[in-house]
Amino acid sequence: MTKHIFTLIWNKKKKNFLLLLEIFFAFLILFGVFTFVISNLRNYITPLGFDTENVWLARMEVPQDVDSADFAQMRQLLRTELEAIPEVEQVSYTINITPFSNSAWQNGTDENGFDLNARIIQNDEYYEETGGLNIIEGRWFIKDDVHSKYKPVVISKMLRDLGWRGKPVIDSLFIFNYDDGPDNQVKIVGVVDHYKYMGEFTEEYNMIFIYEPTTSTNLDCMYIRVKDNASPTLEEQINKTIAAITKRNDFIIQTLESQRKRKSRQTWIPIGILLGIGSFLIINVALGLFGVLWYNINKRRPEIGLRRTLGATKSDIARQFIGEILMVAFFGIILAAFFTMQFPMMKLFDIENINYYYAMLISAGVIILLVLLCSFYPSRQAALINPAIALHED
Amino acid sequence: MIKLNNVNKIYKTKSVETLALNNINLNINEGEFLSIMGPSGCGKSTLLNIMGLIDEPSQGEVSISGYRIDDYTGKSVAKFRNEHLGFIFQSFHLINDLSVIDNVELPLLYRKVSSKMRRQLAEEALIKVGLKNRMKHFPSQLSGGQKQRVAIARAIVGKPNIILADEPTGNLDSAMGNEVMDILLGLNQEEKTTIVMVTHDELMAKKTNRLIRLFDGSQVQ
Repeated sequence: MTKHIFTLIWNKKKKNFLLLLEIFFAFLILFGVFTFVISNLRNYITPLGFDTENVWLARMEVPQDVDSADFAQMRQLLRTELEAIPEVEQVSYTINITPFSNSAWQNGTDENGFDLNARIIQNDEYYEETGGLNIIEGRWFIKDDVHSKYKPVVISKMLRDLGWRGKPVIDSLFIFNYDDGPDNQVKIVGVVDHYKYMGEFTEEYNMIFIYEPTTSTNLDCMYIRVKDNASPTLEEQINKTIAAITKRNDFIIQTLESQRKRKSRQTWIPIGILLGIGSFLIINVALGLFGVLWYNINKRRPEIGLRRTLGATKSDIARQFIGEILMVAFFGIILAAFFTMQFPMMKLFDIENINYYYAMLISAGVIILLVLLCSFYPSRQAALINPAIALHED
Repeated sequence: MIKLNNVNKIYKTKSVETLALNNINLNINEGEFLSIMGPSGCGKSTLLNIMGLIDEPSQGEVSISGYRIDDYTGKSVAKFRNEHLGFIFQSFHLINDLSVIDNVELPLLYRKVSSKMRRQLAEEALIKVGLKNRMKHFPSQLSGGQKQRVAIARAIVGKPNIILADEPTGNLDSAMGNEVMDILLGLNQEEKTTIVMVTHDELMAKKTNRLIRLFDGSQVQ
């Protein structure tokens, strides 16, 4: 029967061309939509690696001409005063490369036997708890790290798997042109599982956290971990405390949760729009398929009558029509897949290949499901045609 | 071979009942060539459809080769039609998108016959009707007579013991009609195929073993 259907499709190739073209373009568009959606959703399901609920961020400018001793004293005082507020749990300092801020500091070297490219963030010893990091090996920074011969760093699991898979990583030294430590080497003291600070929908990246003591002038932002259900007056209270101690008003307080939501919206909205376009397209393709099938069946009533007369059962007739449309869809998909395969093969975009393969499979699945759904009812109707009547309609 | 007992066929609409066949009793023997004549609308094609198991009598019994037909919708009747009956139509009913040989293979498609065997049997059938050289042609490239010969090849490819022909020469000129009739007579005489033919043509009918006439759904001769 497959050969027969193929012969029929081939002999009617001109008539089937438009349908094949419709399936071809539907596949291409669905492929584009699903590649975008799948690559984003696959990123989304990876944990962020830090807390956004109840974590606030204060950005402060550090004056260039600050006296380091005064600055250190001010920092300690600010921490003490903020932590004295009952609704504040903990405070830590960081550089201005903060979650969802779109800023990045990147460095790379191939001097360790592998191509190391990583993003860098400097943090003090309190960030593990303030940020809610998940240390899976080793430890976070401690105050004594300031005396360490090598600059202590915490790396992400992704980087560990890249450079130290199956090898002990804690206390390992590696070359990283960060500062003037001995031989430009830094020492790994811990590993965190994830840290997607650019946003929930971004790909994970190799991360290196570098220790800076609280008093470092490099750290000009502050994480403030607050208790659940903080009162509306807390922000004002924090604001006043910072202003009083720093004697400045040029700082901003934001919640990480609002930043996360804002950043996520930038992806959710296009996903929604693209899925809307995809759904509209699917409805149109479905209507097209349904129309073509109805037309074909009505035009081919005598042929259906003939086939029934020659011994075809009702299921043979239904299978014939479903088979024909499925075969056209199959060729449309194969043709489109030939073009979409170029994306992973030629690495046209910075998207993991697996996303393309998933998108191809899902697009093909959606089209086949659509074809089956649209052909089911017309084919069933075709099967019910009375051969005695249909044969006299020629 | 074909036995019809008290067969009635009534077509019903909401307001009208039409009696298409009225109490038909018919016994067609194996190897017989029977023709059915009558004016248009007298029920000839309905009778042929009932014998071909593509239409169901409203009353009465139909049995073919000892097989009594009770269910006209199931798979068994489709299988029976496929294996025992061959059909020829006035308007040929060839599928224009299939080549001659693919058209002839059609009945074998609904049997468990390999593709190679289908092709071989179809070729044999086309040789019988003198169309071996037209196998790859499409119906649109054939004359009316050739089309009907293809239809005959399709009817005989499955080696049925009964052929039902509904005005097989109706659309052909006399020369082509005679050609087709000769093939049918050959099948009847040489292969002992039972043939029931509906016709309007007295000359054709006279060439068959027996003639029955219908008028307003009743058998009058």
